[in-house]
Amino acid sequence: MESLKLLAPLAWRNLWRNPRRTVITLFVVSVGLWSILAMASFITAWGQSSRDATLRLLFAQGQIHAEGYLDNPNINRLMDPPDTALLAALNAPEISNWAARLELPAVVRSEYKTLPVTVVGVLPEAEIRISSIPQKLVEGRYLSGPEDDGAIIGLNLAKRLKTALGRRVILMITAQDGWLEERSFDVVGIYDADTAFEDTYIFTGRAAMQTMVGLGDEISQIAFEVPEDEALEGVIASLRAAAPAHDVRQWRKLSLIMGAMDASMAATVYVWMSVMMVMISIGVINTQLMAVFERIHEFGLLRALGLKPAHVLVLVTLESMLLIGLGVLIGMLAGAATVWGLAGGIDLSAFSQALEAFKSGEVLYLEIRPMDYVIFPLAIWLLGVWVALWPAWRAAKISPVEAMRHAT
Amino acid sequence: MQHKGNEMKAIVSCKGITKVFGKGELAVHALRGIDLDIMEGDFATLAGPSGSGKTTLLNMIGALDHPTEGEVSVDGQSLSGMSKSALSDLRLEKVGFIFQAYNLVPVLSARENVEFVLRLAKVPAAERRSRADAALAEVGLKGMENRRPSALSGGQQQRVAIARALVGRPRIVLADEPTANLDSKTTAELVALMYRLNQESGITFLMGTHDPRVMAHSKRHIEMEDGKIISDTRS
Repeated sequence: MESLKLLAPLAWRNLWRNPRRTVITLFVVSVGLWSILAMASFITAWGQSSRDATLRLLFAQGQIHAEGYLDNPNINRLMDPPDTALLAALNAPEISNWAARLELPAVVRSEYKTLPVTVVGVLPEAEIRISSIPQKLVEGRYLSGPEDDGAIIGLNLAKRLKTALGRRVILMITAQDGWLEERSFDVVGIYDADTAFEDTYIFTGRAAMQTMVGLGDEISQIAFEVPEDEALEGVIASLRAAAPAHDVRQWRKLSLIMGAMDASMAATVYVWMSVMMVMISIGVINTQLMAVFERIHEFGLLRALGLKPAHVLVLVTLESMLLIGLGVLIGMLAGAATVWGLAGGIDLSAFSQALEAFKSGEVLYLEIRPMDYVIFPLAIWLLGVWVALWPAWRAAKISPVEAMRHAT
Repeated sequence: MQHKGNEMKAIVSCKGITKVFGKGELAVHALRGIDLDIMEGDFATLAGPSGSGKTTLLNMIGALDHPTEGEVSVDGQSLSGMSKSALSDLRLEKVGFIFQAYNLVPVLSARENVEFVLRLAKVPAAERRSRADAALAEVGLKGMENRRPSALSGGQQQRVAIARALVGRPRIVLADEPTANLDSKTTAELVALMYRLNQESGITFLMGTHDPRVMAHSKRHIEMEDGKIISDTRS
């Protein structure tokens, strides 16, 4: 401890013997960490925005299906409306909203074209709470109730079918009896989402659809919304317990692309961190080696005066700890200041076409994730100190006589 | 003076010291079978031309280097086989160094430079400070304790180095060309200072030097040539 009291102030003063070099190293460390923290916040916000936008369209945070439906979605793999146990689980406080739907593959036909689609029969009252489609209408109206037999179609699908609001389209769906049932639907609303979604999904009243295909109150899915992602695993478990015969999945398992995107965004942050760490390591090693070689004579003097090799190791390591620690502190403050400065959101509406490919919202809201401010700074500090051990070890190994021969 | 004639004790004892740098045809014999005792209270100079082995011998005695053959003892303790850490302790406790260049730590003040060895020796803070200030006062630097080396003249820096060498109460002070970079006036002052410290406190000095002004004060003059002692006379 006494040695530390002696060496720590000496290490601190040694840092400022060459202020320019110290400032450059601080700059490298702090900018590196700042970029990691800012990128982590940005990527997280982007991921969150993309995820929310996609999940709000239709998926929600999870869905319940009859066993086997997802492997072969057809009218023979439906399920009954939720029973008492499942209703209780769906009405738990962790679940903010849920909606029961009938979703079946179909063919849509206009005067000009026939295209494969998926028809979703919905309860409008529940959908308004759980899906963003009602807010995405650009023409017409949303469905008024479960018996509403109007069709809500996507903007791009309308273009491809060469149809429009107020015109009729024919929907063909395999009915309960195995026959292909066809019926005309008025186009009552047109929504604007991303192109792939618009081309796929048509919405109508659930009761109207059930009647068309000869069903009672059977449904194909229950979508549920869980605002806190941390609670999702627990909710899935309780739903599985309440409906053991059903297939309960969270969104990552429903949309593998979304799950992969989510994972790749996290990986991007770690790839960036690795790149920054390599750069910081090179900077720190370079700085500390220069600092050691410039002071070889002095290390010899200190050794001659009675400083032990271990003391020299500690001295140089302390210098690295202080230098990188200060850089990390500045980087953390800069990272936090950046996020706070952009707390009002980053408006990316100018890039809305490009954003459609990422299914992202137009305004990204950055936020500080406390664990980022523990893990990334600690990782950089530890790595920096670790790589600086080599120059420190070299300084400790210097023979006093050889060192004293070096010019001052 | 504390000497008592024949009862003088050897602070340093060198027996058959040989030092060879390099190997084979490139081998340089810096020391060739040196036998030397430095007695308590000696104010001795080690003279000789460049390359005669003065610095190498001082390094051996100061436990900064180890001989190829032979044995060095300091204060009765053989240096053979001691670890680097133990040699550091021995230098801290028994040897004071004054080097040719001023060799102060530039980021420490005069007081902190002097205190440095006391901190390594774990001397309590209050005693450390009083001893450092007393040592600086002893070498005529009272009032300059807080100055950094860059704010001191060459002579003043060498005085700080002397204070640092003495403050740990070493058994012997080894000085390698201590006046090489100083002007005549400063040299005279420093030699007088070291001589006074030897006379009043009985501190043993062994100085490697070419400087006749230093040799003039010497009570024991050791002459080296080609790694050997060619004369050892007392005055």
